[in-house]
Amino acid sequence: MNNIPTGQQAIRILKRTIFTRRRFLQLSGLAVSLLAMGGSLRKLTGFFALRAARAAQPMAAAEDETVITKSVCHQCPGRCGIDVYTTNGRVHAIYGSIDHPLSAGKLCPKGYLGPYILYDPDRFKGPMKRTNPNKGRNEDPKFVSITWDEALDTIAARLQNLRDKGESHRFALLYGRGWGASDAGLQKPFGLLYGSPNVAIGHSSMCADGSKKAKQATDGNYSYSAYDYNNTNYLLIFGAGFLEAFRPYTTNMVAWGHLRTKSPRTQVTVVDVHLNTTGAAADRALLIKPGTDGALALAIAHVMLTEGLWDKDFVGDFEDSVNRFRATGRPVDPATFQERWVHGLVEWWNNEVKERSPAWASEITTIPEKEIIAVAREFGTTRPAIALLERGPTAHSNGTYNAMAIHALNALSGSLFAQGGLFYQMGPSYGKLPVQYEDYMDDYAKSEERKRHPRVDKAGTEDWPMASTMMQEVAKNHLAGQPYKLDTAMFYLTNPTWTSPETGDWEEALKDIFVIDTSPFPGETAMMADIIVPDHTYLERLQDTPTYPFQGWPMAGLRQPAVKPLYDTKAYGDVLIEIGKRMKGPMGEYYRALENTENVLRHLARGFEQDPGDNGVNGFETWKEKGVWYKRPYHWRQDRGKFYEWDGTGYNTLMTPEEVKEKLLKTPSGKFEFKSASLEEHAAYISRKLGIPAERVGFPQWVVPHHPGGGDLHLVTPKVALHAEGRGANLPHVISLMQPTLGGNKTVYLEINPMTAQKRRIRNNEKVRIKSSVGTIEAYARYYHGVRPDTVVLPMEHGHWAMGRWARNRLPGHSGEVTVNVSDPISGLASYYTTTVTVEPA
Amino acid sequence: MTTPSQSTLPMHGLPLNVNGVMKISAAVLALSLILTFYGLLTQGHGAFNTHSYGITWGLPAAAYVYLVLTSTGLTFVASLAMLFRFNEFYPVVKRCIWLAIATLVAGFATLALEIGHPFRMLWALPSGLQYLSPMFWMGVFYTVYLLFLLWKFARIHAGDWTSLQSYAVGLASFVSVVVAHATLGMVFGMMAMRPVWYDGMLPIYFLVTAGLSGIAFAILFTYLAYGFNREKMPEALRGLLSGSAFSGVFAAMIGITLLMVILRTITGLWSNLDGLQVYSHIVRSPLFHAELWLGLVLPFVLMLSPTLRRKPSIQITSSVLVIVSMFIGRYEFMISGQMMPLFKGSWIQGVIEYTPSLTEWMLTLVGISLVFVLYTVGERLLKLAEHPDAK
Amino acid sequence: MAKWGMVIDLEKCTGCQACSTACAMENNRLPGEAWQDVVFYTEGEYPSVQLKWFPRPCMHCENPSCVDVCPVRATYKTEDGMVLVDWDRCIGCRYCMIACPYGVRFYSDEKPLVEPDIKKVFKGDRKYSWSPPWKMPQSKEDWKHGVGIQPDGVVSKCTFCYQRISKAPEGTPDLEPNDPALREFTPACVVACPPTARYFGDLDNPQSHVSELIAQKRGVRLLDHLGNKPQVYYLTGEAGAVPSTRGGREA
Repeated sequence: MNNIPTGQQAIRILKRTIFTRRRFLQLSGLAVSLLAMGGSLRKLTGFFALRAARAAQPMAAAEDETVITKSVCHQCPGRCGIDVYTTNGRVHAIYGSIDHPLSAGKLCPKGYLGPYILYDPDRFKGPMKRTNPNKGRNEDPKFVSITWDEALDTIAARLQNLRDKGESHRFALLYGRGWGASDAGLQKPFGLLYGSPNVAIGHSSMCADGSKKAKQATDGNYSYSAYDYNNTNYLLIFGAGFLEAFRPYTTNMVAWGHLRTKSPRTQVTVVDVHLNTTGAAADRALLIKPGTDGALALAIAHVMLTEGLWDKDFVGDFEDSVNRFRATGRPVDPATFQERWVHGLVEWWNNEVKERSPAWASEITTIPEKEIIAVAREFGTTRPAIALLERGPTAHSNGTYNAMAIHALNALSGSLFAQGGLFYQMGPSYGKLPVQYEDYMDDYAKSEERKRHPRVDKAGTEDWPMASTMMQEVAKNHLAGQPYKLDTAMFYLTNPTWTSPETGDWEEALKDIFVIDTSPFPGETAMMADIIVPDHTYLERLQDTPTYPFQGWPMAGLRQPAVKPLYDTKAYGDVLIEIGKRMKGPMGEYYRALENTENVLRHLARGFEQDPGDNGVNGFETWKEKGVWYKRPYHWRQDRGKFYEWDGTGYNTLMTPEEVKEKLLKTPSGKFEFKSASLEEHAAYISRKLGIPAERVGFPQWVVPHHPGGGDLHLVTPKVALHAEGRGANLPHVISLMQPTLGGNKTVYLEINPMTAQKRRIRNNEKVRIKSSVGTIEAYARYYHGVRPDTVVLPMEHGHWAMGRWARNRLPGHSGEVTVNVSDPISGLASYYTTTVTVEPA
Repeated sequence: MTTPSQSTLPMHGLPLNVNGVMKISAAVLALSLILTFYGLLTQGHGAFNTHSYGITWGLPAAAYVYLVLTSTGLTFVASLAMLFRFNEFYPVVKRCIWLAIATLVAGFATLALEIGHPFRMLWALPSGLQYLSPMFWMGVFYTVYLLFLLWKFARIHAGDWTSLQSYAVGLASFVSVVVAHATLGMVFGMMAMRPVWYDGMLPIYFLVTAGLSGIAFAILFTYLAYGFNREKMPEALRGLLSGSAFSGVFAAMIGITLLMVILRTITGLWSNLDGLQVYSHIVRSPLFHAELWLGLVLPFVLMLSPTLRRKPSIQITSSVLVIVSMFIGRYEFMISGQMMPLFKGSWIQGVIEYTPSLTEWMLTLVGISLVFVLYTVGERLLKLAEHPDAK
Repeated sequence: MAKWGMVIDLEKCTGCQACSTACAMENNRLPGEAWQDVVFYTEGEYPSVQLKWFPRPCMHCENPSCVDVCPVRATYKTEDGMVLVDWDRCIGCRYCMIACPYGVRFYSDEKPLVEPDIKKVFKGDRKYSWSPPWKMPQSKEDWKHGVGIQPDGVVSKCTFCYQRISKAPEGTPDLEPNDPALREFTPACVVACPPTARYFGDLDNPQSHVSELIAQKRGVRLLDHLGNKPQVYYLTGEAGAVPSTRGGREA
């Protein structure tokens, strides 16, 4: 295919002739130029050089065959579509795909760095095994190359042996950023066929489960939200780092350009503990005391209720339209209020909100009362308005309640499922796999004995009854032998030996576990590994990428190799399938029938035959050609208190409350619950863990956060814009741009308020020791007036003791080493930002 | 008090210490060259601590300016007799011209190792003819100046001190050096974006300070030629040094320089112009105070005293102090123009920090030791003590 | 002949540095050799503190002082408005770096910002200062215009992506990156910018979008008092600002 592109359509291969403009300086031209240049001294500038430059242009430039591969970025979970430019087998450029809804022709700063990751000189070049039996930070693993067969046979034999002994639960598969059906999607069947509850343990409890849990508790959806930014007029952002870390980052910024210049301009208020770029770009930044976001949200709700600013169509109103929510804080008779799509509003007021005045919140949050009132009035009087939260507010012991209080504002403003509001993501129309794992379960896999073993992380046990996953507990539990010791652990796209709180536990635990790492990069977990089965990097990989929550309508990208694998690596999905094929019995049969990931993808793509995408993708070949299947619009919309379903031409079908409950507000009441039934199910547990009276656990409420660590300063460790989840750690280009706000281009500086620093006799740019009850690290402190005096901010970058020549031993130390491993008892989310530390000159 | 014969000294019986100095300086030159080339060959200009985000022109550039301006000053001293007929200065003329050549060559050598492609300059300068660039003219005029200097030296070495041709060549070298150093001044003085340098009168500042370092060099090297023993000097020379003319001119030049340094500093401290903040930084540096108090005020006071200023030890001390002070001044001038980042913020906070690297020091030492080597070679081979009266 | 210029809308700019990384990738720059940088600075004290930033490409000045000072005419101004460096002429004297008021020129031969030196990891042969596997195709390389991997000892700078814009159809008023017909000719930073804070077009064409934006949104130029007359304009809107000082007395 050598067609010249006529647009964004149909570019698969672009043959581009690099043409030259050969312009010879002609005598007439010279005369004219000389005349034109006239007498002015300045205008003669450059004449000579121009002539030299022109004459020296190549007379005939070589033709290059440049191929543009449509693929999907892999530097955050955003899944932006990328155009990968490859010439003569070398990738030299990546730009965002114009015809991809997420990237819209753009990419975030990380996206352009893909070629550096592909050509990382410290990558693993093929499967290897460890020959040094000793493990630890200072132990060279002494890896030696082995064949793929040896590697896969070794792993399979080990797993088979465990299974034969009836100990298959002692194999755990831990994974991070899974992508789709062709990688992470293969894990669950693997676990069920093999018979281990620990296949697979996700990392979301070390990421952002808090917001998901809060949404589940209030509107019944255990999911991140999708947002209609382009139509919103107010954004109230808690934490998240909307312009640094929130996903999909590129799309957020594309939206930002629009919403800051549209009419009316979207007003933005940012709540964070330091002034980041998001706060600086916003109309207002509120620097809040860490862990108190919920108090602020409750006070905003208080103002919205007492001033009658809630959305009457969605929420409902007093029967006589007279507002009985008074600033004096009197209880209200629930019978006087008629609720529409919410449940328990008046009880919430009576039990919580009536006490949560701006004056009260000002004490808790340190934000001036008048600012709180101003924000509440803006938020309450602007429609549509979105209250967005992620990470920060939820990374404390009170995280779920903070998040519920914030999400409650979305209900009060009627933005749930509304135009310019927020909703949830639809999945793609995938086809069925060639074989169904249910048909291949043998007696062992189906046995009651297999169900007897809890997960090693104890998620879902009485210790963590509400958490979906607890990866941060795995090392601790293994060390304690509770519930049991692991025998073998495999890691995919996760490096808890570096990323987890109290990383020391992992270094210790992995010493007596047989560790299999699939990363192509020499990370800390790989240094503890017994066998390395390296994945391709993303520019070499075929993989589906159903979208991260975005604008609700379904989308599935296809990551495709731009070049043949540079080294002897294998896609993780195929590694799993190959291990599976080596297992005895029906399990092996299943994987032989599954064949490989490409076969999986071909079957997934069959679903598009029945449901072609908006861009004409109707099968595997067209999927490959476009790199993405998507189908607008989102199917549901709430408008002035009524829910409608898309009928093919418009939001015309009025939905019944039953339909709303089934599809959208999936709570027991079918409404947004200010009194959460799902939390009340666990009333005794929550009451025990958080000290809340059992009858109150359902309300979004203020809970005083618990700050371990024994220090006098809050340590908050956000991600910066260039944070590519470990994949950027070994890129010198990334290091050189890492922290522009404070000028960190070799290290990242600890942000410290000058007042705080001077009290501790810490000079600007001085090396400091950051200490908590679990560890000590060093960093360079830099004065920053944009950080609260009671808080220090250390971006979670650098401090690797492996990961490649540029990453290794780069100060500051890793924040995980001083972060206490405590979690929100409800969501299970690791409380990354709740540790307190002391800081002193080093 | 014995009076050695005027004719014996230049012809033979060089004092041991010129030989000694030659040996030492040749050794230093060899060592510094080796270390410089080691740095350059292993790391390129990465062996320098200059940086695109920091100080672009560092210590070697300051050394270049220092050396070529010293050359200028030495020509001025020579011209006192050659052109302006202050005949008492004749005994130092030849030495000064040779020293002017030595410092100029040493300056060029330093510059050549400081830039990226010195040999490319040989064809790119004439083929580019960028008449708007002061650096282009600096190249042109310093080349012309060097040629005239060599010519003049050849004339007087041949004994032609006073012919019209010799006079004309001397005049030409004087004019060319005035123009050359003026363009060097303009290299900095025209940079409106560098307020510390931006000054239409900067060439005048350079002129005066060049004159001062020329005089200091002339004094020091004259003493050096005679083993720091004035008694060994020929009569005329001894008369010059013990009289009031030399030390008077020296004192006057120190005084004018002192005034200019102080006035520049006050202006810099007083003015709100963005970029001049660097002066408040400079006055806090010990180097500045060494330059001002030890290097200028002290010699000025010494040279004002009618009794002290005739003493050889005082003259030698003063010249050394001034020579060091002028070097600090050139360095400070060079760095201070670049110390304030062009924009505040990332990636540099506050004032740019710069400490010359070993290679930069070694390159500077190449320049300085080359002056000594060339000088001592000249002293041995070229009869630098000659003057018309000796004929 | 167009006079190419750029407009940067600071109201939209999120300070993400996508322009910087896209430029580094497109033009094979070294770490720290940020032809296109984003400069962040702070003003005020807690809690009334401001964090501000502005992207800083080469301004491709109408009166480029860097061109005037170059003793060998290695740096020059093209007819269509770009200030470029001829790497076959440059002698590495760095006078242009001294004379540039905007600090957007880089000497290739200096200490690596990030150790170990990537130039030593991806070594070049004698011709090139380094040779990374991701470098642009040979056919794009053009030393006369300062495009490609440079040799040692020369000065490099933003070319407005000369290898791209020089192929734009004559008479194009604006290079619009999301127009597939013009995308390949648009500078990398303009293509890259996620919030669309950058516009690129012909300043001599009063009908061009860039000219319109400058007129309607009151475009300003950085350090305009120096008289270099940048061909890069900033729209400061309500949110943005270009710095008024270099650091104030406190520095």
